[in-house]
Amino acid sequence: MADTDLSELSLGARLLAKVDAWVFKVESSFNLMSALVILGLMMLAVVQVVGRKIFNHPIEGYPDLVEFAMPVFAVLSIAYTQKLGGHIRMEFIIGRFSGRLLWFLEVLGTLIAMFTIAILCWYAYTHFLRAWNIGDSSINIDLPIWPGKILFVIAFISLQIRLWIQLAGFIRLFLYPNSKPIGVPIIETVDEQAQHEIDAGLAGEDEKVNIVGSGVSR
Amino acid sequence: MDEFTIGLVGTLALLLMVFAGVRVFIVAALVGMFGTIAIIGWKAGAGISGTVPHSKSINYALGVLPMFILIGFIAYHGGLTHALFRAARAWVGWVPGGLAVASVFATAGFAAVSGASTATAAVFSRVAIPHMLEHGYDRRLAAGVVAAGGTLASLIPPSAILVIYAIIVEESVGTLILAGFLPGIVSALIYALLIIGQCMWKPELGRAIPSPPMSERMASIPGTIPIFVVVAVIFYSMYSGTATPTEAGALGAFVVLVVALVKGMKWGALKEALLETAKLTVMIFALIWGVLIFVRFLGYAGLPQAFSEFVVALPFPPVVVMIFILLGYAVLGMFMDAIGMLLLTLPVVHPAVIALGYDPIWFGIIVVKMCEVCLITPPVGLNCYVVAAVRPDIPLGDVFRGIGPFFAADVVTIGLFLAFPEIVLWLPKLVNS
Amino acid sequence: PGSAQAQEVKGPEITWRMSLWGKRRAFTEAPEYVSKAVSDATGGNFNIKLYYGQQLSKSKENLDGISVGAFEMASFCAAYHPGKNKPLNVLDLPFLPLANLDIMRKVHDVIYKHPSSTKALAKWNAKIYMSMMLPQYEYMGKGKPPASVADFKGKRLRALGGMGAAAKKIGAKPTSMPASEVYTALQRGTVDAIGFPYTYTFAAYKLDEISDWYTTNMSLGTVNCPIVFNIDSYEALPAQYKKLLDDVQDGAYEAQKAAYAAKDKVNVAKWAADPKLTAVKIPENQMAEFRKQAGRPVWEEWVKKNEGRIPAQELLDLVLKTAKGG
Ligand code: NA
Ligand code: NA
Repeated sequence: MADTDLSELSLGARLLAKVDAWVFKVESSFNLMSALVILGLMMLAVVQVVGRKIFNHPIEGYPDLVEFAMPVFAVLSIAYTQKLGGHIRMEFIIGRFSGRLLWFLEVLGTLIAMFTIAILCWYAYTHFLRAWNIGDSSINIDLPIWPGKILFVIAFISLQIRLWIQLAGFIRLFLYPNSKPIGVPIIETVDEQAQHEIDAGLAGEDEKVNIVGSGVSR
Repeated sequence: MDEFTIGLVGTLALLLMVFAGVRVFIVAALVGMFGTIAIIGWKAGAGISGTVPHSKSINYALGVLPMFILIGFIAYHGGLTHALFRAARAWVGWVPGGLAVASVFATAGFAAVSGASTATAAVFSRVAIPHMLEHGYDRRLAAGVVAAGGTLASLIPPSAILVIYAIIVEESVGTLILAGFLPGIVSALIYALLIIGQCMWKPELGRAIPSPPMSERMASIPGTIPIFVVVAVIFYSMYSGTATPTEAGALGAFVVLVVALVKGMKWGALKEALLETAKLTVMIFALIWGVLIFVRFLGYAGLPQAFSEFVVALPFPPVVVMIFILLGYAVLGMFMDAIGMLLLTLPVVHPAVIALGYDPIWFGIIVVKMCEVCLITPPVGLNCYVVAAVRPDIPLGDVFRGIGPFFAADVVTIGLFLAFPEIVLWLPKLVNS
Repeated sequence: PGSAQAQEVKGPEITWRMSLWGKRRAFTEAPEYVSKAVSDATGGNFNIKLYYGQQLSKSKENLDGISVGAFEMASFCAAYHPGKNKPLNVLDLPFLPLANLDIMRKVHDVIYKHPSSTKALAKWNAKIYMSMMLPQYEYMGKGKPPASVADFKGKRLRALGGMGAAAKKIGAKPTSMPASEVYTALQRGTVDAIGFPYTYTFAAYKLDEISDWYTTNMSLGTVNCPIVFNIDSYEALPAQYKKLLDDVQDGAYEAQKAAYAAKDKVNVAKWAADPKLTAVKIPENQMAEFRKQAGRPVWEEWVKKNEGRIPAQELLDLVLKTAKGG
């Protein structure tokens, strides 16, 4: 998505674009945290194997430590991925619609997601509360479990915020189907999906291939 | 409504919403939660569903997923793809269709550091197709071999999809990873035989290229050594018990990272790879817990047992039922993403397959092979789009036509696995005895 | 339904679900017995459905499932999550003098009935019904059979809870892993020996097929795994069903003991006849020394860590007194 020139937009659209950008900053920092934890997990495993194999000195409670860190990369980036349209769905049918009908379906889909996440978020919170109030700990080294459980609640709240922004974005598009999309992930055509894969595959190459919008698609 | 009817209604609602384009993890969680609520009431049903995301994600065995994904994202930075193709070309270029055969082996080799089928197809479209076209190879063959070769990444470890299968059906992650090696190699060999046969019959499709001198052949090897190191690390550390799958994955990622850093990978590129890994990881975790909420509902509804009893009672031999199941996957795979397809179908299909007497490890390899096939079948065979897109001179239609023989080869491969399950089970059995 | 059957206990139709993990095995013969006995006695009106394989909940979250009422009955092992059930962990200390399953039953029972336990479980809306007992743990492993306690030094052992703390006292490296992973871990040398309930679990996980030796007299301790009810569901039962549950308890304990005994008979004979498998008896004076080092000191550490939050010393004393027959 190209940078939106805010000056052309109505006040509401400008506000939406600003909120979208600001929330995305928070989401991006969550994703960075999760990326760093993955890197750390890799290092920890190397230390563990070397320690165990060469010095017969494994890290005590290593599996507990891994599970303690896991919630970060298991859930924290969930809103970031939603913003980028990264959660799998079947686009084969919806991708054929356009205009108001498409935006109407997207509004419905977003409402369904908000409803689901709202309930899950509440019951993930009660799950955390039990661990917090009564207690819960890991099998080897008695690490507390509640920090992981609260992380799921935080991630679900951030996803809910993201879904509110999307809902606003899709309703706006439903009302004004010809305006520029703001704050919503756009359905990728097969070409655009292909572009993503190409970007990944050619990550180490100097010269990139750009297919989307180049009229390559037939 | 009785529990079984609720189960059926829930399954229909799930399919409807999936086809309407709602995100799969949302649909699975919603239907699972309300299905459970319909059976055991609001507080209990929503309460137990709320425990699933944390309790099912936080599982030491799942720690291998980000490691495997990371290996794939970093591997593109190590210059491995060009080195692999150069070596394969130097060593097997002399056979009929030599460059196409070399492409198969190069993609298979790269599969040992990447689980991403489409990205593998993308990069080898860049690395291998120009050489084939330069030597007058048929462009359909050139496109087909890269699209098909790319799929091998899912079968040959590291592969996220094998891990996901293991987690959903509660089999050993390590065993499945080991089980993928041999079938992956068999698939590659069948592709190679197919090309050789085609090119012997019609030499104009692709001619042999003369072997370079021995010194040049030897010189092509060092560049590929990192691949062998990664294979050795993952395979040996798990085979010998030095490491759990999660640790083996981390060691593999570490090796690839060191190679990439030596080859000049910068922090910016590493950060990019890490961010992409985090994004893909959370997507897979969300799918896993979403689907497991649905699975819990199926457990309450008793649907998996009912389906397996139904399947076992069918008046056909198991192999006929199995073929029907595979045809079902082939059709679904034309429209659905591989991971989504696996996650949504396995909870019901897997118990039935086991009840029929099939081995769960064997079935895992078969369905992952089906997932590979769905990457090359129209209308949304993503690998074909990728090839066509990277090579604007090759129309999509040509890619789909070029993939035809490879599709046939995959059918033969699956037939082989059906007839000789030992191809799949030999290695895991060897390791476990 | 089932009106044709003998109906000793009359009452309404009630269906309960019980959350279990793994497959049906000697360990689960107690709930199997209870399920069958109550169904038989009520002519099928009181029906307890057993759900194996963590279908209803992960084993570590069974208390959460009970708490929200997702199922009426479940079992769990206190060692899986020390933080969830502090008072019960006294039963997982190493080298407690639980000479046989009858004594174990008495000791478990008295701790389960102690107010601090019932209070802790009530927070989960749970009430303990009975213990799914596990026999005393021994080690089975690969490599040169140990001849003395000193031979365990530096060995990597799979040891849960308090047994891990005990293993550390003799210089071993304890690590815990789910039972499902132990076969691969032992076979490939990730660990040198596995601590498991003797004999049935070794055979259930096929460790006897890949091991070189096993100990027979270490009696390392055990872990406690109670069966619990959701309190609301239990309170809602008619009085005659509550009484029925009490009445079938003895039979359930006996069924469990019989299941272990049957397995022991088969395994002991099979292992004795197996030339590859050495039975190891650690000299009694060394075991006494090991118990001295890793028994009371580990108990005292546990008491020190938990006193204040729970009456740890009182619970420990109660265990020892009951075990002595007090
Ligand atoms: Na791979
Ligand atoms: Na497809």
